[in-house]
Amino acid sequence: MIDPALIQSVIRVLFAVVIITAAYIISTRNLSTLVSAYAFQSLTLVFMALALWSLEDAPILLAIAIITFISKVLIIPYFITTIQERIRIKRDIEFHFLSPTTSLLLSMGLILFIYIALSNILKDTAARESLFFFGAVIGLSLMLMGMMVTFSRKRAITKVLGYLSMENGVLLFGMFVTELPFIIEFLIVIDLIILVMLTTILSVGLDSTLEEYHDRLHRFHLVEDTEEGS
Amino acid sequence: MSLSFIIYLVINTLVVLAIAPLFVSIIKKVKAWTQGRQGPSLFQTYFNLAKLVKKETIYSAHSSWIMRITPLVSIAAILVAALFVPLVFVPEPVGGIGNIILLLYLLALAKFFMALAGLDAGSSFGGMGSSREMSISAIIEPTTIIVFAALAFVFKTLNVFTMFSASVASGTTSTPTLILLAISLFIILIVETSRIPVDNPETHLELTMIHEGMILEQSGPNLALMELSSAVKLTLLMALLINLIVPFGLSTTLTLGALVLAIVLFALKGTILAGIIGLFESSMAKMRFFRLPSLFAMAFFFSTLIIIIEVFA
Repeated sequence: MIDPALIQSVIRVLFAVVIITAAYIISTRNLSTLVSAYAFQSLTLVFMALALWSLEDAPILLAIAIITFISKVLIIPYFITTIQERIRIKRDIEFHFLSPTTSLLLSMGLILFIYIALSNILKDTAARESLFFFGAVIGLSLMLMGMMVTFSRKRAITKVLGYLSMENGVLLFGMFVTELPFIIEFLIVIDLIILVMLTTILSVGLDSTLEEYHDRLHRFHLVEDTEEGS
Repeated sequence: MSLSFIIYLVINTLVVLAIAPLFVSIIKKVKAWTQGRQGPSLFQTYFNLAKLVKKETIYSAHSSWIMRITPLVSIAAILVAALFVPLVFVPEPVGGIGNIILLLYLLALAKFFMALAGLDAGSSFGGMGSSREMSISAIIEPTTIIVFAALAFVFKTLNVFTMFSASVASGTTSTPTLILLAISLFIILIVETSRIPVDNPETHLELTMIHEGMILEQSGPNLALMELSSAVKLTLLMALLINLIVPFGLSTTLTLGALVLAIVLFALKGTILAGIIGLFESSMAKMRFFRLPSLFAMAFFFSTLIIIIEVFA
């Protein structure tokens, strides 16, 4: 059996990694590394679930690790990379309301706010000092940081990544604080995959009329050109 | 002031002077490799310095005494600053030596004189370089202060020597705060030594150069001093990062064996870090000037996070 103190310190390091990837997702303008950062973040969550599993020995954590690995490290990044290759957008440089710098500074304030709020809520409980409190703080922060990505980016594909990283936050919170029923975790993952598949279709045409949409599908090589002259 | 402290002063200065050009060469070599070139020899920076020292110094007719004393002030300030960061051997701190705020302002003093010298000769490139350097300094200043404040919060001291002793004693390398600190310090290192993505140290492209613009008017031994001082600055910031994050091998007692081991290990760790810097520089393009704050914001974010963790947890 591995030493629990060692596992706890590993989990703390993984927390730091999650925060780093979240900050990267907020501030980067390069789409391909954005997807890698998301996949890496999900991988960190997988390791975290495995570490928790070895600590608590609950099979549900192992199950979460497995489905997270399959869906969020392999399938979803694969879909998003495919769509990126097709629509040939390399960078996302347009922002609503907030520049990346401002969002980073704002998310700092959010983390502080969550920290203080949660420590007030959990003041008299035993959970206050533990790892699980940190997990809750980082989970919630990740959620809000993902939310900021969602509303500060203009491109649909980045919005989706923001949403996905928000869901990672929910998963993190769920792992550390409440024991979500496994069926709900599983349904969320299926929802996410469907969302990403829909996005692969819609991200080129969300803002267009149906006639234009068809044109765009051709322009971005999403359907093979069958008629001549196109 | 004890004898061991005097020995420390000598050893530290000698080591930093000897090893600084090597690290600059290693970064250049790694960058050349990633571009598929052979690259200059590892001793090229030493040869350059030796050659520059032999050359004649030429001053512009418009330049004043600022131009003449700047290389001396710069190398003096930076060498004193290098004493604040023990490379291989950590003695007991004496007086104000090792104070992290004084360290920052010694670096700022050298930078200030360099900017003045850039303006002094009246060349427009020098003026542009100084103006950019000062703008960047003004923006990076809060970030640097916050990063060093985070250091002070983590180690509960303002003295670099005590920080190093604490990190040698604890020996742990992977606490989450240290990872965040390492990223922040790395960003500070990149910005302070004018490397890509902030400035490109290899070109003299008039539209973008910052550091090179300021020393454009220097020549001969003066230029050698400026080059050496920027190499020493790089080394001392690297040493700060290395000895805080991977302190093993750093000697706290003054014995010959421990000292030699520490020097070898430091050279090794420095080589690895220089390689990382080279790879980092090769992997990205220079940033647009007005996008630089987002790089600093990253360091600011992580350091503030550390302070939040340290204060509230």
